Amino acid sequence: MVRFENVGMRYGLGPEILRDISFTLDQGSFHLLTGPSGAGKTSLLKLIYLAERPSRGAISMFGRDIATTPRDELPALRRRIGVVFQDFRLLDHLTVFENVSLPRRVTGELEFHYRAEVEELLSWVGLGNRLNAKPATLSGGEKQRVAIARAVVAKPELLLADEPTGNVDPDIGGRIMRLFIELNRLGTSVLIATHDQRLIERLPATRIFKLAEGRIGTTQATHELALPEARRA
Amino acid sequence: MTTPLQSGLMPADSASGTTLHTIVAVMSFLACLTLGAVLTLSQLAAAWTDGLSGSITVQLLPSAQIAPEDQMREALRLVRQWPGIYEAKEVSSAQARSLLEPWLGEGNVLDDLPVPQLIEVTLTPGQDVELEGLGRALADGVPGAHLDDHQRWNQELASFAASTEGVGWAVLLLIALATLAIVIFATQAGLQAHREIVEVVHMIGARDVFIAAEFQRHFLWLGLRGGVIGLVLAAVTLVGSGFLWDSREAPVGAQLLPQLVSAPYHYIWLLFVPVVIGLIAMGTARLTVLRVLGRMA
Repeated sequence: MVRFENVGMRYGLGPEILRDISFTLDQGSFHLLTGPSGAGKTSLLKLIYLAERPSRGAISMFGRDIATTPRDELPALRRRIGVVFQDFRLLDHLTVFENVSLPRRVTGELEFHYRAEVEELLSWVGLGNRLNAKPATLSGGEKQRVAIARAVVAKPELLLADEPTGNVDPDIGGRIMRLFIELNRLGTSVLIATHDQRLIERLPATRIFKLAEGRIGTTQATHELALPEARRA
Repeated sequence: MTTPLQSGLMPADSASGTTLHTIVAVMSFLACLTLGAVLTLSQLAAAWTDGLSGSITVQLLPSAQIAPEDQMREALRLVRQWPGIYEAKEVSSAQARSLLEPWLGEGNVLDDLPVPQLIEVTLTPGQDVELEGLGRALADGVPGAHLDDHQRWNQELASFAASTEGVGWAVLLLIALATLAIVIFATQAGLQAHREIVEVVHMIGARDVFIAAEFQRHFLWLGLRGGVIGLVLAAVTLVGSGFLWDSREAPVGAQLLPQLVSAPYHYIWLLFVPVVIGLIAMGTARLTVLRVLGRMA
């Protein structure tokens, strides 16, 4: 589904942020991306959700070579990806309902087709009573849940999340992770960038990409981590 | 819980606000006044040339070969029997004097001048008249007779009307170009101000045409709103100036000047001004957005 081969990336004429990145995300897989702040996690996600182009190397998404894909065909690929941005990137002048339904709206779908689904999803993430609220009136945790609902509302084939549980309490964090796991069971590939140790411990066996100084150093499975038994239970 | 109608993806006041509405309204106001003037001028020019081309004049210069009375009688007979002539009547010497008085003044100076006799001829409307043949027949049959078909006046008036109309259309074109430039500037500013929104919508999978549609809808309404405000102000100005023209306060001779909008049906044409401004704003915004997004990575 996603294949990176010796990918490097730099912003403008600056230093290389990512170096020799090679990995594959298979359909229905569940991966974590970890690493210290500044390691390049967000830049790597940007490459995957086609917000940036690599400086070198080859990227293949859904069987298409990105370097040779015309610009007007990128939106169709982006619609197959759901993204939870680290800074949420909600549109402040739109309501919670409108923000969440945006991915359906941009495809030209009419509101009456998706209204019930969006309302149900918002209820599920605990925002059923905030449909008409504007983002400015929401807490950090509520904004994060809106961002997550927006990312999953179109049932993407690939879900990318940048620190999705960073601003929510453990209970809501648990619900969000269960939503990701459920989507993964339904066939969505999931890649979560996080350094939340509790989140890592809570997940089922999955691969972890450890990013350090712009390179993927090691890949490891969660069940291979040396975690205290009590915390893994 | 019910949800209200979906908002536009761009904030309602994006790249617009009071300033932009005011500028578009002023453009619409100027366009309405200019269009009104062009239409009136066009109508006046048509009336002038129609009036002149519907009549001709026969001049009878004093001749030693024929007595003035015989000259008049013979010329009238020849003209009246010519096909396509509706009416031919002699201009009396008193009428001829009154025509010359503005240039020569009152008094007996006219008694000493060889003033030609005149025949005013009205042509049958819609019928082609062989004027060249009539001129030749008069010259051959009546000594001293000369046909004036006002061709020179016609050409000068038509040329004056055409050049003035051209100036009017050029002003309208300039107004359209200025509106276009303002919308391009405002659209680029809007894209810059809402770059964050454009990026998010892009990342979610929106095509350029979807984003362009959001902007073009916004600018269509801006153009229509501003255009209607300008139209209303122009209509008030035109109606008000019409009253002023006719009022007692108007200076002597003002009634002789043409009004900016002289016919009620001209107001129907003015209704198109906001529509055209709205369409210009919409089309310009669309092209600008597509051009700017096309340059984005």
